[in-house]
Amino acid sequence: MRVDVNNVDKRFGKLHAVKDLSFSIEPGRVTGFLGPNGSGKSTTMRLMLGLDNGAGTTLFDGKPLVSHKPVTRVVGAHLDAKFFHPKRAARAHLRMLGAEAGITNKRVDEVIELVGLAGVARKRPGGFSLGMGQRLGLAGAILADPQVLMLDEPANGLDPQSIQWLREFLRNYAAQGRSVFVSSHLLSEMELLADNVVVIARGALVADESMSDFLARATNNTVLVRSPDVVRLASVLASKGIEATIAGEGAITVANVTPDFVGEVAFQAGVQLSELVGQKASLEDVFIELTESGQDYQVGGASPVHGAADSQVNS
Amino acid sequence: MIAALKYEWRRLWSIRATYVVSVAYLALVGLIAGLSIFRGHPGYSISWKGLYGTPAFILCAVIISVVAAQTFGHEYRYGLIRLTLSEFPNRSVVILAKATILMVYILGMTVLAWSLLGLIGALAPQGVVAAGASNMSPSGADVSALWVVPAFTIGYCIFTMSLTMITRNLPLGIILPLLLATFVEILLTGLLTMISSHLSWLTNNLPMTNAMAWISGQGSHHGVVFGGWVLAAFAIGSAVFIKRDA
Repeated sequence: MRVDVNNVDKRFGKLHAVKDLSFSIEPGRVTGFLGPNGSGKSTTMRLMLGLDNGAGTTLFDGKPLVSHKPVTRVVGAHLDAKFFHPKRAARAHLRMLGAEAGITNKRVDEVIELVGLAGVARKRPGGFSLGMGQRLGLAGAILADPQVLMLDEPANGLDPQSIQWLREFLRNYAAQGRSVFVSSHLLSEMELLADNVVVIARGALVADESMSDFLARATNNTVLVRSPDVVRLASVLASKGIEATIAGEGAITVANVTPDFVGEVAFQAGVQLSELVGQKASLEDVFIELTESGQDYQVGGASPVHGAADSQVNS
Repeated sequence: MIAALKYEWRRLWSIRATYVVSVAYLALVGLIAGLSIFRGHPGYSISWKGLYGTPAFILCAVIISVVAAQTFGHEYRYGLIRLTLSEFPNRSVVILAKATILMVYILGMTVLAWSLLGLIGALAPQGVVAAGASNMSPSGADVSALWVVPAFTIGYCIFTMSLTMITRNLPLGIILPLLLATFVEILLTGLLTMISSHLSWLTNNLPMTNAMAWISGQGSHHGVVFGGWVLAAFAIGSAVFIKRDA
């Protein structure tokens, strides 16, 4: 199921939390939703689900969510690991959530088993760890086997094995032709998981494209070259207008060129190479590069860039 | 709508607090009636109608109103409202389902309370519960018609639920109607009477003052005023619930 987010906009008093955002979530793909703290990711998700009132529309297969019945067969959302009554048993919590789509107790038990909560199904979740809360939230989201999954930071608090399980689960889910929309701060994880990325900063769209296109935006893709004669190679490159930087003894890095190009230049100049490695920027590098100026909350004691940012924006 | 009713029913009965409140409510009703009947002064007698009026006592209403406050109070306290509205984006359906299930619950509890009172009446010493005896309930209310008992309880609980929708605060939802009944309106009436006799239209139309007068058998017009306040609170609560962010 395709999801079209059209001109979604939200203000909290003077703070313009989400600025005229438009993007699409494609079926069969995992779409990562990235942005710095306070950039408006959670607000956008709430707007998409109609939990917050704001401008713009979100259409699920061309129709607003309210027009679909049952809604839980269309979209399953997991927005917070603590959205449960601490004294309602995990199984009872899921039975309640399953009421809208007529989910059977058998399916509830299947999902509990799937997320690894079978041992605590009849326990009260008040004492659950963050990771267990995430599993319960995920169980609620997938209970009705929805066409669209929307998950806000689902990997927070999960151990490495669980993160790996979650990645495989979401990739399989998308491979069945369904749409997965997931926000996360774990960029290395997102790089492995997402096919597409939507990046926002200060509520505005920064990127909406495939992961490969997004990574190709990096300006710091470099090539590491080792050679017994790096000085000559550097001068040959300089004669072609390409700057090389010393990267240790007998090594240089060259920015914004491909390894093939450097290899060809070295071959033509008769320079022997002992190592030639393309160093691609990671998602983290590109993300930081593109969103650095759009960060509201920065480390190092810096004050929020614009003081009007209030605590209502929980991204 | 059926799905929303089912959701709300499961929500109601999947927390221990509902069972605790239900038992506490029945225990209080039984205690009030039982003390009067088994420990009352010699010669005490009460009609069946008077006995069945026991649940309209304000303390009983306060106990059962905890469930009413929880209908929205728990949703906001634990963030569940976002799960609920993710499943039911049409907020009017959520309000209607919650109000309907609450009314069904209160009617069920009233029937249970009456059954308990019937048992207490049957076990009462001979002559204490008798046809033709006083219609004054153990709480001191003159019971004019039995339908007033569930009607008052429903009105009080919808009022509580509406205040919880407005304040988004569970304890406030429970305390505010009680404070109005036992303190605020009495103080306000006293002050306004001292200030000017022309303000009697205001003191005569306060919600809980009229509710108390209604269940004391002082006339159904008091019930109409109380009902008006309940509807107004419900309308405001619904409007803010629909308008505000979850």
